[in-house]
Amino acid sequence: MAGRDALAYSVIGVLLLVVGVPFYWMVNTSLKTSAQLQSLAPYYYPRPATLGNYAALLGTTNFPTWMRNSALVAVGTTLTTVLVASLAGYSLTRIRYPGRRLLATTVLIVYLVPPTLLFIPLYTILRTFDLVNSLWALLVAYPTFTVPFCTWLLMGFFRSIPRDLEEAAMVDGATRLGAFRRVILPLTTPGILAAALFAFTLAWNEFLYALVFVHDTELKTIPVGLNDLMFGDIFLWGELMAASVLTTGPVIGLYTYLQRYMVEGLTAGAVKG
Amino acid sequence: MGLANYAALTRDPIFHKVVWNSAVFTLGSVGVKVVLGMLMALALQQALVARSLVRALLLVPWVIPTVITALTWHWMFNALWGVVNVTLQRVGLQREPIAWLGQPATAMAAVITANIWRGFPFFGVSLLAGMQAIPRDLYEAAAVDGASPGQRFWHITLPGLRLVLIVTTLISLIFTLNDFNIVYVLTRGGPGTATHVLATYTYEVGFQALRWGKAVAVSMYLMPVIAVMIVIVTRYLTREE
Repeated sequence: MAGRDALAYSVIGVLLLVVGVPFYWMVNTSLKTSAQLQSLAPYYYPRPATLGNYAALLGTTNFPTWMRNSALVAVGTTLTTVLVASLAGYSLTRIRYPGRRLLATTVLIVYLVPPTLLFIPLYTILRTFDLVNSLWALLVAYPTFTVPFCTWLLMGFFRSIPRDLEEAAMVDGATRLGAFRRVILPLTTPGILAAALFAFTLAWNEFLYALVFVHDTELKTIPVGLNDLMFGDIFLWGELMAASVLTTGPVIGLYTYLQRYMVEGLTAGAVKG
Repeated sequence: MGLANYAALTRDPIFHKVVWNSAVFTLGSVGVKVVLGMLMALALQQALVARSLVRALLLVPWVIPTVITALTWHWMFNALWGVVNVTLQRVGLQREPIAWLGQPATAMAAVITANIWRGFPFFGVSLLAGMQAIPRDLYEAAAVDGASPGQRFWHITLPGLRLVLIVTTLISLIFTLNDFNIVYVLTRGGPGTATHVLATYTYEVGFQALRWGKAVAVSMYLMPVIAVMIVIVTRYLTREE
């Protein structure tokens, strides 16, 4: 057994190293001046470390605007998604009506259809409604993938709650919506948190739709905006890596608090059965 | 009009190259992701100390923006000052710096590397959850019968993981086949068309050359493959009801 443990811990060590090196390199680069970036003297750590890249990024580029846009879109998408997906997930698991199964399957299928197939048709639809080149385009487009995914995820959580609880509440005179709000929702808090986290992360990270649907620099989200910091072959690596640190920060922060629910949600769908 | 776009693509050497690249990128990435994910899951299953902390740390690449992942790897593969070149030269594995993103074969290897880095934790976490759902007593019975670790893996773990493995692999195939971000940020499909995949080519044809019909035709060629995979995943995931 000791031999297998040693092997397991070495595998884990190597994987942690593989995962960790790019993060270290991101932080290391963000703390160097451009002269230091082109010097091999102290190469593997910044000496002296500087916050100049962060100052330049926040003071001389549109990064603060992109960050605001990303936050607006991600929060907006999260709110829409949690509202729609929790009601849809509840309906699809609890209320009996014709076509319910087909609808549930459709939700799954829609989640699995990749954005690559959808971005051109979506673009023409958004253009018809005159939404192209505004943040509304993203607020409308992102729920098309976050809602199906989160609905599917929440269906697993709703299924795990015994029917008796809400039926008892309804016998006591609660309406269905009342029972949903006061009995079911508190019990599915982990699921709701997981859904919210996934919706936020998916929206915060999204690139293709943001690249295609929005053109003005002041309307870009971070992933697209960063392309403005690459001029042909000239890349402002210090600023880009500072931006990377600031962009991953919120996601990792949220994730640190909520990862337990996220892993639960992630594995709930695929594992059971 | 009509099917002209589809017919033209069948004779288009660039399109052929793009299809081939997509296959190499997808199968190469997913193949390694399965293996690394399985190693990760087996190691985490065996090692008890700080399992959920390690699992959380290893999953971080999967939650950060892909564009950031691609940017970071872009910088690490930099021909002059990238950490890959400098380190390989310092330890003596390489004499001259290599333009990783500037040559067809190494550029493809680079985009695959970045995709694997981002995607293997998803396999690891899913497979670990699958392993934890396999009843303990199966292993105990096998141990009593004197089965070796290899036999236990082959006859208990692998069959027990069948469903998770199939579903996770198919979902990963769908999304890797349609990956846009990593290739776009790392190589823009270059050098030449060496790393152009269906997603980046659709974008280029549609939004840079503004040939909408052709762009939709390119993505529609993906449709049958994607549809088959979606049907299989859906079958598996809705079966228990």
